[in-house]
Amino acid sequence: MYLILMHAVEFENVSKSFSEKNILENISFSVRQGEIFGLLGPNGAGKTTLIRLLLDIIRPDSGEIRVFGDFLSPAAKNRIGYLPEERGLYKKTRLLDMLVYLAQLKGIPENQARLNAESLLKSLELDQYKNKKVEELSKGMQQKIQFLSAIIHEPELLILDEPFSGLDPVNTKTVMVRILGLRASGKTIILSTHMMEQAQTLCDRILMLNKGRRVLYGPVDEIRKEHGKNSLIVEFAEKGNLNAIREISGIKKIIEHGKSVELFPEEGISVQLLLEELVRKANLTRFEKTFPSLNEIFIETLESVSNE
Amino acid sequence: MNSFPEKTFIVARHEFTKTIKRKEFLFMTFFFPLLFAGISILPAMLSGMNPAEDQKVGYIDLTESFEFPKSIQNEGLSIGSSETKTSVIEFVMYREISNAKQALQAGQISSYLVIPEDFLKTGTIELYSPEKEASMSNFELSSELSDIVITSLLEGKVDESTLNRVRNPVNIKFYNIGKSGESSERSIADIFASFGLPILTAFLLLFSIFSSSGFLLRGVAEEKENRIIEILLSSVTPTEILTGKILGLGAVGLLQIGIWLAAVVFGSGYALPVKIEPYTLLFALIYFVLGFLFFASMMAGIGAVTGSLQESQQVAGIFTFAAALPLIFMQLILTNPGSPFSVFLSLFPLTSPIAMLTRMGVTAVPISQILVSIFILLISVYVVILLSGRLFRTYLLMYGKRPKVKEIWKNIRTESR
Repeated sequence: MYLILMHAVEFENVSKSFSEKNILENISFSVRQGEIFGLLGPNGAGKTTLIRLLLDIIRPDSGEIRVFGDFLSPAAKNRIGYLPEERGLYKKTRLLDMLVYLAQLKGIPENQARLNAESLLKSLELDQYKNKKVEELSKGMQQKIQFLSAIIHEPELLILDEPFSGLDPVNTKTVMVRILGLRASGKTIILSTHMMEQAQTLCDRILMLNKGRRVLYGPVDEIRKEHGKNSLIVEFAEKGNLNAIREISGIKKIIEHGKSVELFPEEGISVQLLLEELVRKANLTRFEKTFPSLNEIFIETLESVSNE
Repeated sequence: MNSFPEKTFIVARHEFTKTIKRKEFLFMTFFFPLLFAGISILPAMLSGMNPAEDQKVGYIDLTESFEFPKSIQNEGLSIGSSETKTSVIEFVMYREISNAKQALQAGQISSYLVIPEDFLKTGTIELYSPEKEASMSNFELSSELSDIVITSLLEGKVDESTLNRVRNPVNIKFYNIGKSGESSERSIADIFASFGLPILTAFLLLFSIFSSSGFLLRGVAEEKENRIIEILLSSVTPTEILTGKILGLGAVGLLQIGIWLAAVVFGSGYALPVKIEPYTLLFALIYFVLGFLFFASMMAGIGAVTGSLQESQQVAGIFTFAAALPLIFMQLILTNPGSPFSVFLSLFPLTSPIAMLTRMGVTAVPISQILVSIFILLISVYVVILLSGRLFRTYLLMYGKRPKVKEIWKNIRTESR
């Protein structure tokens, strides 16, 4: 029972097909309460279908989906916020009215919805536009409004499908800060994105899908370790040091990357011992044990899957 | 607390307030009453009547045999039924034509009459009025002069009742003979009420059904096109959206009908004293509700399946054309309301609301036919709501190319399992 309560979302062997085409095959994963969970995968991987299944917009062919430990009830739906990839707002409606309506649909009483909307608009310095029609706002503002519409009812679980797409760097940062703030306040966030840099920075754990199948699942740090090439990046104060390093035994390969050099130690060589040896032979300015980025793992995984 | 009706109500209220603020709605709702008012008031205005305007008319009686009253109250055509406004025509006698002419040019009188010496032989009275002034303003004088002439010629020579009969020779009353032979008197107003108003009501219903279900189609297509539908579906079920939209826009339609009927009652009561029978109103209401549910659900289904507003309107046009068939065959229904084709149109669910109400306006439709028509419409409403609900659930989130009919049918059947 305790374990179930720890999970905001659980998928158990969930499959879904459209017109006899498998969109999701036997997917199992869980999202822990209070974490930022990344949902990664190329276009057509089944991410949006998975989100729609989670929100009970569509039903699975088989398998079980539990949200907050139970099957999704209308009341539980009110505890979820959703920013779809396909953005949409009522263009001809006044900003405040639209936010109030969307909050009301999440079970917030009208007066409270109005207060929430006004306070959120104020926090993003948009309160002077509250009586404007949505179509009168700039694209950047509309994107911020879209984000507000997903959090206006203070959801416990927030699903963000490509939240950074189309955002300029300033707004990307604003949204990232918001997301981190929400996690700090105990909210659970599911982040579906193509932007691996943001996913790597923000996510605690990830699920990577490809063609409806689960290809990677787990904590970001562990996945990066698992996919580590076991290489070291070093930099020296003087160019001549490189020759001295070539003399060190236990290094099977050296690749020069301009200023820095990547060293590949032989199996069983201790990084600690290697560091000591390097310090003796050269004037080191940088020594780093590297892990591949999520982006590299993403590309590598997709390539290996397509080669199978 | 069950949140189902609550969210349906929120959707309904949103649709209602959003729609009544639309320019199209305001135009449609207030254009018709204005048009109606224009039609009923314009003829009275065209007849040149200005009931409140009194006038002075000079006369020169060359026969010296007429007794003109000092003034007469004119109750000719007037606007307003509750209190008939009258104007006063004051007669001013002149001995010489030149004096009358001068008075006319000075604006002391609006016109003058000359009764020639040979009036008894010719029956001609000459009326002189200023150039460019609508001669119609003197139109009313004709009947008043007839009265004066008759009175002058016959008073004292025949009794009062003969005099009255000569003044007002024929007064037609309309009677209807019922099946059991009883007769009932019908006034012009009754004839208009039983014949014109149901047809007018049928027209108004049709327009209201079309405009309200058109708003629904537009709303669904727009929400699908601008993708907000996905946010809505994360909060409410497709059934809640569908029900909320139908209720909200149904209320819009009822409000519109209410405004129109109020305008008809007010407008017709103003120009022609008529009253709408509760019987007609009851059936008008039943046909409106069922007709609206039928079309609105159909439009919701079309809006869900099609990819854009433009495409949805093209598809909806086919059904709208079918529904407008009674208008095309209106003459046939009016002249031959009992013909098999008229009966068919009043039973077929797409056309029955307007066709049946029109038939009811011109003939006594057997109650069995009315009940069968309502029953067929009820069944059709049920089937269309069921199908549209399924289309709504299946296609709301499918963007891009419109699915083929075969595919839609397959999905409807899959959903039912």
